[in-house]
Amino acid sequence: MKLVLVLWPSFFVAGLAEALFFTLVNPHELYLLGQPVDWSPLATYSVGFFAFWFVCAASSLATMFLARPLQEGGSPAA
Amino acid sequence: MSEDSGTTKPRIRAKARVVPIAVDDDSLYEVRQKVYPRAVSGVFAHWRWALVWFTQILYYGLCWLPWNDRQAVLFHLVERKFYIFGWVFWPQDVFYLAVLLIISAFSLFLFTAVAGRLWCGYACPQTVYTEIFMWIEEKIEGDRARRMKLDAAPASPRKFAIKAAKYGAWGAVSLWTGITFVGYFTPIRELLPAMFQFDIGGWELFWALFYGGFTYLMAGVMREQVCKYMCPYARFQSVMFDADTLTITYDTLRGEPRGSRRKGEDHRAAGKGDCVDCGICVQVCPTGIDIRNGLQIECIGCAACIDACDQVMDKMNYPPGLIRYSTENAIRQKWDGRAILRHVLRPRVLIYSTALLILCVAFLWSLSTRSALRVDVIKDRRTLAREVEGEFIENVYTLQMMNMAERAQRFGIQVSGIDGARIDGASEVGMDPEQNRSLTLRVRTPMDAAPKGSHAIYFEVKGLDDPDLHAREKSVFTMP
Ligand code: SF4
Ligand code: SF4
Repeated sequence: MKLVLVLWPSFFVAGLAEALFFTLVNPHELYLLGQPVDWSPLATYSVGFFAFWFVCAASSLATMFLARPLQEGGSPAA
Repeated sequence: MSEDSGTTKPRIRAKARVVPIAVDDDSLYEVRQKVYPRAVSGVFAHWRWALVWFTQILYYGLCWLPWNDRQAVLFHLVERKFYIFGWVFWPQDVFYLAVLLIISAFSLFLFTAVAGRLWCGYACPQTVYTEIFMWIEEKIEGDRARRMKLDAAPASPRKFAIKAAKYGAWGAVSLWTGITFVGYFTPIRELLPAMFQFDIGGWELFWALFYGGFTYLMAGVMREQVCKYMCPYARFQSVMFDADTLTITYDTLRGEPRGSRRKGEDHRAAGKGDCVDCGICVQVCPTGIDIRNGLQIECIGCAACIDACDQVMDKMNYPPGLIRYSTENAIRQKWDGRAILRHVLRPRVLIYSTALLILCVAFLWSLSTRSALRVDVIKDRRTLAREVEGEFIENVYTLQMMNMAERAQRFGIQVSGIDGARIDGASEVGMDPEQNRSLTLRVRTPMDAAPKGSHAIYFEVKGLDDPDLHAREKSVFTMP
């Protein structure tokens, strides 16, 4: 269930970020490591979405990690 | 949750309420007890089904509707254009999307303030698909008692066959839902044949399966858990409630003390309320709560318990409405329907309605006056101004033009603002349907037309076939 708590909100936010980003940016205008991105637009959108999801999930995970209460001796509870 | 009411029969209680637990607890949520909702019929069930039909005919059907040789509603990601009937939206039109979102948000506020979780109970895809999936379940596995028996039974070929049939049917609905979803982003009339020839793009297939899988997971497996734990609206809807919000309410004053009785018994004389404590309202509840404990955050407002209890009341020859749409104030002060309606129009509702009305009018107005021509003038920064042929000053501009209409157009371009200003070269341009074009224009004025410095200059673009298409853009002309 912790997994849901990490993956779900990040999914949600990634969707928003994706919509906003690709409304403003045309996938044909992107560069990856100095090379123009020449994948099909659908591939770019999809990869973009998963990249957003991954980043957001990482943030959620970090939040979960830091939100663990400190136990005596300062080591976080499992 | 134990306002004991002096009944002898053990009460059927709602399962334990969920208490948000600290994050360090590994079992973040209570162990889920599977809910076996009992099917119910009645007025509100009919409404729910009407909305299932309405939304799903819309969803599954709309992508098949043609419009001028194209799909009527198509969010063409590859072309970066959204087609909605006669309109074509470009990324530049994101403003409309933003306004639309704000309108949706305000509608949600308004509906919630007036009548609680109407959206959840009737229109939310989660509710709608769960309804469809439960219908399939009921048809294949049988009613509530049979389903519970089947789940408790040891594995057998029969059990396996029934379960396989159910999962198969769910899978088919999910798959079709997923394909339909992709069909809004890639033309579905090309997608489907391609699919049957196994010639579909990898990503299209992926998203069809992804969305289908999500449908399956949410409507088949997670169900009420989505509403309880995943839905953000469910969490904050309570702030939009007040004591005059219509919600599903159990009339405690009338129902208590609850208890079983013989039919025809004068229960009032025996000191009993109208609730016969049959527990049917709990059995039909898709989220498995007992509405008699008062309004709970889990209640999605589906009104299944109203239908169920009304049937019980009918059998007992009691008036219906022991559970009904009512408000906190109304129950307490025993208002009738008219008094409740009078309290609907309160400041909060009026504010939401006014805001919504203004937004809608503005949205429609801006949509109806939206021009299919868009022009941007950018002054060339490299050559500010230069002298040509000894008698003119020339400035160079780039015109970004967009013809958003679905047909070809010709446009005439004129400059004004400075005496004698004219365009050097062609001042007419033809554009293909939905074309984006950038045009370099040289503008000349006589050397003595204006003093040294910057002067305003106006570019006027007019549709030659359609005079309604018209744009005027301001820029700057530099005199050296
Ligand atoms: S269905 Fe009506 S009568 Fe039966 S337990 Fe619920 S409230 Fe009471
Ligand atoms: S309490 Fe009634 S209205 Fe609320 S979710 Fe359960 S059945 Fe639906």
